[in-house]
Amino acid sequence: MSDEEPSLNIPSLLTLAVVSYFVIRWFFNRDESAAGGSRGRGRGNVVDPAQVEQIAQMFPQLSTRDIMWDLQRNGGSVAATTERILTGRGLLLRSNLRSQSPPTNIPPTQTATAASAPKADAQDLISRYNLSAKAESPPAELQSEAPSKSTWSQNKEERQRILQKRRDDMILAARRKMMQKNQGNAQ
Amino acid sequence: MASTVAQKRLFHEYKNLSTNPPEGITAGPVSEDDMFYWEALIQGPEETPFEGGVFAAELKFPRDYPLSPPTMKFIGVYPNGTVCISILHPPGDDPNHYEHASERWSPIQSVEKILISVMSMLAEPNDESPANVEAAKMWRERRAEYEQKVRDEVKKGLGL
Repeated sequence: MSDEEPSLNIPSLLTLAVVSYFVIRWFFNRDESAAGGSRGRGRGNVVDPAQVEQIAQMFPQLSTRDIMWDLQRNGGSVAATTERILTGRGLLLRSNLRSQSPPTNIPPTQTATAASAPKADAQDLISRYNLSAKAESPPAELQSEAPSKSTWSQNKEERQRILQKRRDDMILAARRKMMQKNQGNAQ
Repeated sequence: MASTVAQKRLFHEYKNLSTNPPEGITAGPVSEDDMFYWEALIQGPEETPFEGGVFAAELKFPRDYPLSPPTMKFIGVYPNGTVCISILHPPGDDPNHYEHASERWSPIQSVEKILISVMSMLAEPNDESPANVEAAKMWRERRAEYEQKVRDEVKKGLGL
């Protein structure tokens, strides 16, 4: 190699070595100090209590522990923690909000409404959603195009269509069931 | 900025409700152009006079959702279907002084939890704080009549 490049002499090699030494040293130093800093923060428990307090005030439901844990993990960024809570991803990311909350888990809600006994005027769901045509058609046909219930399309119009179909199916199915029940009662 | 957070969150909830819908609940924005206006269908819970019925409600979300709760209103056959339920009350104000903070609205609640709560409200109305005083009175004093009326309305709602 040095045969092919006779111009590569000892001084230039030395210079290169020295320069690289400094570059590498600078590089590692920087890493070390950053790592040292965050280690220090972690060890010294140093989620700032004021930050915890701040988040706890915004979200009184969360336990202080969870908040501290999350803050510690993201290096004490209130913004990041808040953002995570707000987007509904949940703090600890063990799972998202949904799967943590089967229906039985919902907070015991004080309900404050007697279901209103409705008045008679008004629009039923069939006319509201223009379902009268579909309501008349034979049930078998409707059932055959059974909805694939849990779908999500990347396409906006498609999603809209799926939602509408789920809605219509729900109403029509309830109507059919009710009609059958009525017939059963009549006989 | 705030409304982007809200939109993102609502979209996320919409997706969850679509891919993994809770039993008897359909909900989503009327049009995705306005993520702040939703309609929801709730099935009447079984073994109640509401059984077999489907109830439509509109949900309106504030721009700072999920910091503030949405409002929910039954549509169609009800004189004033505004839903008054603790999960829809912001944590700060407690007009009735009996709700725990954990029962009221907070950003870790969700549309799904609201709808499930409303469903259970249909099963166990709380006549202490009725939306419809007359209905509550009937519920307390003439239960059979109340239930018959509900059943009639359920059918009417389905166009029968």
